Amino acid sequence: MRERLLKVLRKLSESLIAVVIGLLGGAFLMILYGYDPWLAYRALFTGAFGDLSGIFETLAFATPLIMTALTFAVGVRAGLFNIGAEGQMYLGAMGAVMIGGALSLPPGIHLVAATLFGMLLGALWSLPVSALKIYRGVHEVVSTIMLNWVAFWLVMYLITYHFAEPGRAERAVPAQETARYQIIGASLTTVIFVVIGFALLTYFIIWRTTAGYELRLVGYNPEAAQYAGISSVKATYLSFFIGGLAAGLAGASQVLGRPPSWTVYATMGNLLNLGFEGIGVSLIGRNHPIGIIFAAIFYGGLVHGGRFMEFEVGVASELVRAINGIIIIALSIPEIISLIGRIVRRRRE
Amino acid sequence: MGKGFDGEVLVKAEKVVKSFPGVWEHLILDHVDFDVRAGEIHALLGENGAGKTVLANILSGFYTLTEGQIYVRGRPVTIKSPKDALRHGIGMVHQEFTLVPPLTVAENVALGLRKYSSFSFPIREVERRLRELSERYGLRVNPRARVEDLSVGEQQRVEILKVLYWEPEVLILDEPTSVLTPEEVDDLFRVLRNMADEGKGVVLITHKIEEVKKVADRVTVLRLGKHMGTMRVDEVDEERLLKLMIGDVEPFRPTRTRVKQSSKPVLRVEDLHVVGSEGVEAVRGVSFEVREGEIFGIAGVAGNGQRELVEAITGLRKASRGRIIIMGRDVTNRSPREIADLGVRHIPEDRRRTGVVEGMTLGENMILRDYRSQPFSRLGVLNLKFIGEFTQKMVKEFEILAPDIWETEVRILSGGNIQRLILARELWREPRLVVAFHPTYGLDLKALRHTHNIFMKLREKGTAILLISEDLDEIMSLSDRIGVMFEGKLVGILDAEKATIDKIGKMMTGIYAE
Repeated sequence: MRERLLKVLRKLSESLIAVVIGLLGGAFLMILYGYDPWLAYRALFTGAFGDLSGIFETLAFATPLIMTALTFAVGVRAGLFNIGAEGQMYLGAMGAVMIGGALSLPPGIHLVAATLFGMLLGALWSLPVSALKIYRGVHEVVSTIMLNWVAFWLVMYLITYHFAEPGRAERAVPAQETARYQIIGASLTTVIFVVIGFALLTYFIIWRTTAGYELRLVGYNPEAAQYAGISSVKATYLSFFIGGLAAGLAGASQVLGRPPSWTVYATMGNLLNLGFEGIGVSLIGRNHPIGIIFAAIFYGGLVHGGRFMEFEVGVASELVRAINGIIIIALSIPEIISLIGRIVRRRRE
Repeated sequence: MGKGFDGEVLVKAEKVVKSFPGVWEHLILDHVDFDVRAGEIHALLGENGAGKTVLANILSGFYTLTEGQIYVRGRPVTIKSPKDALRHGIGMVHQEFTLVPPLTVAENVALGLRKYSSFSFPIREVERRLRELSERYGLRVNPRARVEDLSVGEQQRVEILKVLYWEPEVLILDEPTSVLTPEEVDDLFRVLRNMADEGKGVVLITHKIEEVKKVADRVTVLRLGKHMGTMRVDEVDEERLLKLMIGDVEPFRPTRTRVKQSSKPVLRVEDLHVVGSEGVEAVRGVSFEVREGEIFGIAGVAGNGQRELVEAITGLRKASRGRIIIMGRDVTNRSPREIADLGVRHIPEDRRRTGVVEGMTLGENMILRDYRSQPFSRLGVLNLKFIGEFTQKMVKEFEILAPDIWETEVRILSGGNIQRLILARELWREPRLVVAFHPTYGLDLKALRHTHNIFMKLREKGTAILLISEDLDEIMSLSDRIGVMFEGKLVGILDAEKATIDKIGKMMTGIYAE
């Protein structure tokens, strides 16, 4: 027990040091451009966490990131570098539009069906990645990147030609009333509970079940896994599938659980990069489902609070993004180092 | 021999204490004294976990000491890093190699030299110096050869040259012989003697008493972090050293009870052919049987097809021809899982890479074989409580030294403890067939005896054991029958009573077949 506490405390202190370094780096940038970092950071933190609506908004930003980060994290656990959350998330949003927007179903069922269908499409989009990896040895970085673009154009096509909202061709039909998660406050909806539930479930699967044990075994040491009679095929499929479900849920949450639009824009403006940002969030959260929840909230706070730096202190929005970037990079470093260490070790073996 | 007794004390460690708070309860080193003189080979003798490597790592700057003082030529010093140690004239050759395979020998050496810039280093000069050094000490290596093309013995010479390049006064070698063939060991010892004759102090870490007797001038014995004494090798006999090293333990004689000679074969291999990783046929028509309650030893120089034979039997490699029958079932080219499910257990050759998952905990490693069965898991959910209790029991029974079963990654365990973990996991269930590849390689004496006792007990209970080892003593003392492998073939199968070391040795080198 004491060992565990020490380990968690060590990781926590590493992350806190990283936050301080990141904030100092951002402050340096602001001083360079003649802004007052103290005022700016105060604006950021009070904006993100200062009042209830700020907190709600922060959590709303965090919601999809928890899921796309989970996609990456489950990949890492199986020794995979799955950066396909972006495309799988588009598909998830598309699935939610198809059922939640274009179809009429009884209340209750409608919401559940739309959510599940979105998740399922996300997971299906990951299948070619697993299959290519297993049967042809195609590296997942290559296949996921390519499929991300296929997903982008496919969803854009579908929205523009088949699911556009009548009279508002720039976006898809919004989720119907029966397929919307309840608003808690600001643009936060109850979908966050589904998301956190899924993260906890994933934690359970990875650390408490035999399937998760196999998955981690394959990730850590494929040779020992083979020796133990464990097939890497199953672990690879499982990892990509869970990742796909999570990314699908991320996409669906933006349609079924994110006012005011409740839909996808044909430009993907409201989805773009959520998948890639998930990678950073996952690294900050040490590729751990529980860590990811907190990392996403922190990240959501930066995104939401960053806006206040802009209109209260006048920091240019590009600079806000650069500052956020510095903080994210600083925070990712501890996990990146251990990840690289693992890859190097494996190479050497 | 014996020149170094009155040499100057080059390095001295006084009352050195090392603890890893939070990880280990006891002290890794408990007020240990140690010194090295010019012109001597000083052996550091002890079992796994005795603290030999830790002491060496402190002297060479890889660890810092918790308490105590180090003196170099009588002056107190603080050694903060390996570079520091080298500046003080202390260099260490580690057990595991740290070479970059695609680079040449000279390039590998140059990597450690910071005085050159990143874009140009006078590689010619490095090569010239290396040639000079290899000549001076008899360390034959071509500086332009790529490391990946070198044998293990040659790679070790490169490691030694890397350190010698710094002209250290004290050279520490951590278990250098564990990867070498007997001839290479003799070569190495000659080199070490050359260095000592030149006035260097050489520290040889080992757990083999015969090496101490063979090459060292003085010996310091450590046991569980405690200094058991330092003495002249010519004034002490093997028995005394053994006692200091392991305490009072009965000398080992495997009790060979007569097992009811069953004729029932557990494993039958028929005309087996296996192609190895290099694409060459490594096993070329091997046939034999292992019966219930029998230990069948396979002797042979490494690389004569033993590895491929084992991999084919355990399902890790496809056979190109022939049959493997276990318990009457044809399992040729079946999956490792199907074979394991018949009650076959495997102690693999490469324990760290294959036998365990280093990034996972002790508890997680202990269930590698059994995690799917009740009560280890139920309906796909792991029973952590039971796994914890089970692991605790195994840790006790097999005397695995580990700080914690759930939080410690197996990576930090010593080689001997990892082997105990594997033995516990593979043998606790009394399997029908055990395929054991170098099962006691690197184990200290106590653990080695423990393992041999387990094997004898299993044998009495009817387990068939296929034992592959390069250690002829082990093969001779345990086996009922002995097969000798040479160039992919079994050149002969002997009854243990009729086998002599001489005969087996000749068969191993292909001089003689039966």
